[in-house]
Amino acid sequence: MNIDQEELRNIVADVLKEMDLGGEEAPAQVSAASRTTVSAASAGRTESASGQLILTEEGEAKSGTAVDEVVLGITPAFGIYQTSTIIGIPHADVIKEIMAGIEEEGMKCRVVRVYRTADVSFVGHDAAVLSGSGVGIGIQSKGTTVIHQKDLPPLSNLELFSQAPLIDLPTYRQLGKNAAKYAKGESPNPVPVRNDQMARPKYQAIAALLHIKEAEHQDVKKKPQAVRVEFK
Amino acid sequence: MKRSKRFEVLENRPIHQDGFVKPWPEVGLVAMESSLDPVPSIKVENGRVVEMDGKRREEFDMIDSFIADYAIKLDNAENVAAMDSTEIARKICDINVPRDEVLKITLSMTPAKINEVVCKMSVLEIMMGLTKMRARKTPSNQAHATNLRDNTVEIAADAAEASFRGFDEEETTVGIARYAPMNAIGVLVGAQTGRPGVLTQCSVEEATELAMGMRGFTTYAETVSVYGTEQVFMDGDDTPYSKAFLASCYASRGLKMRFTSGTGSEVQMGFAEGKSMLYLEARCIFITKGAGSQGIQNGSVSCCGVPAGVPSGVRAMAAENLIATLLDLECASSNDQSFTHSDLRRSARTLMQFVPGTDFICSGYSSVPNYDNMFAGSNWDAEDFDDWLVIQRDLKLDGGLRPVKEDDVIKIRNKAAKACQAVFRGLGLPAITDEEVEAATYAHGSKDIPERNVNEDLKAIEEMMAGDTSGIDIIKALYDGGFPDVAEAVFNMQKQKVAGDYLHTAAILDKNFHVISAVNEPNDYHGPQTGYQMTEERLNEINDIPWAVNPEDY
Amino acid sequence: MDQEQMMKAIVEEVMKAMGQTAVSSAAVPSPEDRNKVDAGSYPLGEKIPDRIYSRTGKRLSDMKLEDVINGNLTAADMRISPQTMEMQAQVAESVGRENLAGNLRRAAELISVPDDRLIEIYNALRPYRSSKQELLDIADELSKKYNCTVCSAFVRDAADVYEKRDRLRQD
Repeated sequence: MNIDQEELRNIVADVLKEMDLGGEEAPAQVSAASRTTVSAASAGRTESASGQLILTEEGEAKSGTAVDEVVLGITPAFGIYQTSTIIGIPHADVIKEIMAGIEEEGMKCRVVRVYRTADVSFVGHDAAVLSGSGVGIGIQSKGTTVIHQKDLPPLSNLELFSQAPLIDLPTYRQLGKNAAKYAKGESPNPVPVRNDQMARPKYQAIAALLHIKEAEHQDVKKKPQAVRVEFK
Repeated sequence: MKRSKRFEVLENRPIHQDGFVKPWPEVGLVAMESSLDPVPSIKVENGRVVEMDGKRREEFDMIDSFIADYAIKLDNAENVAAMDSTEIARKICDINVPRDEVLKITLSMTPAKINEVVCKMSVLEIMMGLTKMRARKTPSNQAHATNLRDNTVEIAADAAEASFRGFDEEETTVGIARYAPMNAIGVLVGAQTGRPGVLTQCSVEEATELAMGMRGFTTYAETVSVYGTEQVFMDGDDTPYSKAFLASCYASRGLKMRFTSGTGSEVQMGFAEGKSMLYLEARCIFITKGAGSQGIQNGSVSCCGVPAGVPSGVRAMAAENLIATLLDLECASSNDQSFTHSDLRRSARTLMQFVPGTDFICSGYSSVPNYDNMFAGSNWDAEDFDDWLVIQRDLKLDGGLRPVKEDDVIKIRNKAAKACQAVFRGLGLPAITDEEVEAATYAHGSKDIPERNVNEDLKAIEEMMAGDTSGIDIIKALYDGGFPDVAEAVFNMQKQKVAGDYLHTAAILDKNFHVISAVNEPNDYHGPQTGYQMTEERLNEINDIPWAVNPEDY
Repeated sequence: MDQEQMMKAIVEEVMKAMGQTAVSSAAVPSPEDRNKVDAGSYPLGEKIPDRIYSRTGKRLSDMKLEDVINGNLTAADMRISPQTMEMQAQVAESVGRENLAGNLRRAAELISVPDDRLIEIYNALRPYRSSKQELLDIADELSKKYNCTVCSAFVRDAADVYEKRDRLRQD
């Protein structure tokens, strides 16, 4: 597992660097104040077919009334401090596929960034609550994804994709499509569940590091922010 | 550099597929013995804790408050705090100090103190402690019965086989959350077909799990998760107070319940507050005690890849099991989820509980092939059944399983599949075809089973849950469908909820529905030839593996 | 009772139910003590089934499968009674498990709360779900409507801690 160890070392070094800077640095606040430009190909990660992902925050996210929307909730570090999933799929491609899946069903995708938590279920639930259709998607930087509905308990879900290392781009597109179908009141066939008993031994320690990095940008008091998505 | 052929071979061994990390104590990425853990202390004024583990009451977070107010026996607390931790560690593994005497000390400890004490112990000493401090005299084992497709008839057949092989508890869960009620019914009917008296549960979101228990679809619950830092508790969507209330909700419906926690969950969820995994787990176990739960499932459980990635991680898992027993709780000691690619390493990890014996050595053992294990893979699976049997036989240890014959297993799987078919018919759920019954009878995993119409199933479940279908309807469906014995077994499980005997610590039921717990069969180990000893009948059973040759045949 | 006294009474009540021995032994002996059970009667369902009644008053030793089939036993009958739960709490106490006994006594109170309401109350106790007043209203409901005095005090205790730790509903 040479590549992973190297990546791990980089992550540890990154986080240590941030830790050393201590309390003076507040990257989350700085970034949130203005437009954030993220190169999906940065940090030596995989080239993105979608090019550069630009996520611009435009103030507090509003409660939607449009019944033809699915709200996609992203976690605090998504696309800023982390730019690809645990297996190196660029966030730009991930977002593009989810949006394409939703649009294929004739529905619209609205993106919000959730700050109060980095837990995928809560992010998905917050998105669902904001969504005019009552259906939302939550996604973490490492790639873990959930389809949620506002009247379900936060830790329940419509569909959960808990093993991030197993989620590929066709799955992201398919889950976008399914979310849109739920939003239309249909009952789609759930995306077939995948399972790999060796994902945990291989990835869990790394997943923990990625989540620690993500959670550092959490802000319990901050409301979800509306996000404009562009690809350049 | 010219490569060494030996190093190339070593790099290709399965162990090199595992993820390892150097400890990073500042964020809590350290298993145990962190210099950043609190120094033990307690001050009691007027029957109230005013200081605990270096914090004054004004500084307490929600978890500190709960533990200080509910979890510690205060009359002896200051004396115990003053005792030497190494001395206490020695008493824990000393066969001459009875279990009760140890409890008098440990029940008055603080989380930091108990953490300090077990950190003084080697794994061998921890194992000796487990043997003596385990609550129930007889060790036992739990199975998982799940599959990738949430196929209920397959769950029923696997549950029946697992019961028949000797597991006393069985747990299912879901790939798709909405399948939960159907899977719960499958594991209930299957388990009662395989061996009456086996307890069954379905692990899902807390409120949903309670609702299924109330209906009588399950007979106990385990996934009542607690966490060692306040922020992670919030991300788990609960508080120590809501969890304690939930514990009482379960008991009020006559349902057995245990909490779940484990080292690594806090760092995995990003908020370990710079404390070691074991110290935070100690806090979880104290919350469990304070809430009045009879027991806990711990041993890192689903987070085991995290402690396993750092030094002493597997030792920490054994240590947390020991802490559970030191607080007089039932301990279902994990050994469930996959944490390594190496067969050597997964066996070594399990010996820590297999050798001393725990209330449930695995929680659970995957009774299905690993591709079907919906807890993201298990440390032990259906393909290891015979290995487990041989280890029992080699070491003269009771790991809860027994050798079985193929034709018996085929019969019992077929009966469970048919019983499940009858229940679906009776409850008006989408029919289980004869083809499905046949496939489930002979299957190894869900790849061998025809696909069902998932949408039809989910719609039917929604309709069923909108009504008031309960365990009583399952009993009637079984009776009407020609399975009076299975109906009787499910009925007897419902009666347990009226009597409440199995609410007690470490309770299991034998095939005659006789409750065996730490009340009527407490662990009394105090050295060689004491405590649990296999009967001659049981010893013959585990020794008699069918594929051993008969000397007379040669 | 002034506020401080009341607080003290509530704390004592909760401590008692949660199994703190320091305050639990002072109770005045009541006539019920004569019916007390301990580990010697355990398992109760096996040793004294004629003394175990369901919540609906059906005797455990009389409950038969045929009664389910002919409709004489329903789901409502498959429920534990507060009296049986108290006996189980006594068994737990007799083997030194005061915390478990405390849980069983809180459970005995909650038997009378309907399923749906019980789940709602549990959900209301989860983080960020309720305002302080909503929790206090639940505490009132528990004590007045269902006679759950210990659980009511416990919910009040939680409400205070949630307020202090900023875990109440944030609108």
